[in-house]
Amino acid sequence: MTAAAAAPLAVVELQDIRKIYTQGELVFEALRGVSLTILQGEMVALMGPSGSGKTTLMQVIGLLDRPSSGSYHLAGRDVTTLGENDLARARNEDIGFVFQAFHLLPRQTLLENVEVPLVYAGVPPRERRARALDLLERVGLADKAGSRPSQISGGQKQRVAVARALAGSPRLLLADEPTGNLDTRTSEEVMALFCALHAEGTTVVIVTHEADIGAYAERVVRVRDGLIESDRQQVPRRPGVAAPLPVAQAVGEA
Amino acid sequence: MTVQAGETVRPVPASAPARPRRGGGIGLGGAFVIAWRAIVGTPLRSILTALGVIIGVAAVVALTAIGQGSTAGITRNLESLGTNLLTVQSARGGGGGSLVRAGPRQTVTLKDAEALSTAFGARIAGVAPTAQSSVQAKAGDLNAQVTLLGTWPAYETVRNSPVASGSYFTQADVDGRKRVAVIGAQVVTDLFADTPDPVGQKVRLSGVSFTVVGVLPDKGNSGFGNANSQVIVPLSTYIQRFSRTNSASGQPTVSNVYLQATDKDDLTALVTDVTDLMSTRHEQTDPDNLDFSVQNQADSLASLNTITNTLTLLVGAIAGISLLVGGIGIMNIMLVSVTERTREIGVRKALGARPRDILTQFLVEAALLSLGGGIIGIGLGIATAYAGNSFGISPVFSATPIVVAFVFSALVGVFFGYYPAARAARLDPVESLRYE
Ligand SMILES: Nc1ncnc2c1ncn2[C@@H]1O[C@H](COP(=O)(O)OP(=O)(O)O)[C@@H](O)[C@H]1O
Ligand SMILES: [Mg+2]
Repeated sequence: MTAAAAAPLAVVELQDIRKIYTQGELVFEALRGVSLTILQGEMVALMGPSGSGKTTLMQVIGLLDRPSSGSYHLAGRDVTTLGENDLARARNEDIGFVFQAFHLLPRQTLLENVEVPLVYAGVPPRERRARALDLLERVGLADKAGSRPSQISGGQKQRVAVARALAGSPRLLLADEPTGNLDTRTSEEVMALFCALHAEGTTVVIVTHEADIGAYAERVVRVRDGLIESDRQQVPRRPGVAAPLPVAQAVGEA
Repeated sequence: MTVQAGETVRPVPASAPARPRRGGGIGLGGAFVIAWRAIVGTPLRSILTALGVIIGVAAVVALTAIGQGSTAGITRNLESLGTNLLTVQSARGGGGGSLVRAGPRQTVTLKDAEALSTAFGARIAGVAPTAQSSVQAKAGDLNAQVTLLGTWPAYETVRNSPVASGSYFTQADVDGRKRVAVIGAQVVTDLFADTPDPVGQKVRLSGVSFTVVGVLPDKGNSGFGNANSQVIVPLSTYIQRFSRTNSASGQPTVSNVYLQATDKDDLTALVTDVTDLMSTRHEQTDPDNLDFSVQNQADSLASLNTITNTLTLLVGAIAGISLLVGGIGIMNIMLVSVTERTREIGVRKALGARPRDILTQFLVEAALLSLGGGIIGIGLGIATAYAGNSFGISPVFSATPIVVAFVFSALVGVFFGYYPAARAARLDPVESLRYE
């Protein structure tokens, strides 16, 4: 590929994406022709009412689900035709997921949770341990590396989830309602973390239906009934916590 | 090196590991760690899951050890009763007579024994005819039920039954129909508990007074009949005083004639020659329907081995069935486990697990459960076999059943774990993440 040095790379290029769910007799079109380009280094908020298709779109972008039709290029590569194993590899290497319900593995320690993507990448134990510890440090939880998810708060869980999402150095960080289960204060902490990562150059896509959260993004894409309703740039809100950088200080325990 | 815009810029943290990675997925080691977590995380459930395998393997290990132990015991007993041994006795059901008959009709006579003892010269080391019955023994005011055995002095060597103190009676005692007796250890306990040395004491057998000349050692209570409550007397005296059985021709009969061959390799030939001689003496014409039988001790051992092999087969069948049941138990719980961990599977897939990684994880878990069950089962089986020891059978452990049980339990895990694991591997990530 020969992109001009000045033009930023399109990480996500969706062309007329449709997603049709069939449940027995019922046929439901959750995405009805979505075209969307997300450039490297952007921070995008996907907003819209409940049931509008945000999660479905996110799952398509995150290679968890295949679109019924349309084309999808991830960092220039056509990923609509990938097989099961290549999809898994792409999820592992290119995508970092953060879920509303955290989805940490309950039996594993926080360190082991962060290691999971590296385990599937086949990184040797010593190396992945060191890297996972680094990441826990960045989200201010290095001292809790040996704890279990049940022993920490919701905000802390989401920070661990972010560390885990970052473990494989993904091109794209996807977060589906990452603050949906958090109170205002911890929401702001987590958003400060995303803003800091964005400031470092990470491409971030956040699904939310809360205006407060969407305000942190520099670009807001509104979805309604499976279609993109609007797509505009905005001046992002600065994280309320003092200085966003360095990350560890911004979000670490006082 | 020219860096193209975007292409090689990985913005997220600077300490990113170098690519390409090994790309090998979790591998067996990684799967082992995850599976181990799952197993020790719910110990009781894991044990219950593996219970079928535990019991199956324990049963196999214990049963084979006890079986081999008792076979070894019986073999030892058989061999302790004399080596190179041939036994001549009346045919079961009585040759030529009615087929339906309560017991063997005595056809082997004292004269047969005498003929056998002279016919084979140096090929035979000793001959001991025996006749026996149960009688009341008395000494002072103590009494006991004993097995009275009339025989010849050669019994000592032919049946490998030496005295502990005193001596056997002699040929002279037989010729003179002397009332002398060699008594077993139990008889000593019952009748001569307070007497320091029973040798020289009197014992009344069915009212007839005998002098004790020898005492047999304690032979333990294993073996056939109770060797310790034996009283051995000269056969001539026995026939004169106690025998009520005669052959059709009026000759006194004996129950067995034991012949000890000089050379083990001559046993088979000797069986033929003894059979020929006896057939002539008994005027037998149908070799398939003789009125006596000649048994080779080696044949008894061989038939014992046949029984052992049958038992081994039976144990194998039990093993197969219980491992099958155990495997189904594992499959059942693994299916439940996959359902319960649907979300975990979804998360793992979202983080880059390939179907094969999930398959390996659950397969290893099932194999580990079943292998762990196998190991616990082996331990339990050994313990059970030793517990059986207190019933008088010392277990004999051999590697084969233990190794086979071990290998089979591992295979059961893989076989019955495959279906649940494959189901887990096929789960749709979106559906699994949505699963509550
Ligand atoms: N697996 C599915 N089968 C059928 N319908 C689905 C499925 N997943 C989502 N939908 C439907 O698609 C629509 C969009 O869902 P979703 O993307 O989750 O919306 P959002 O995240 O914006 O709330 C909803 O009406 C939902 O009911
Ligand atoms: Mg949603």
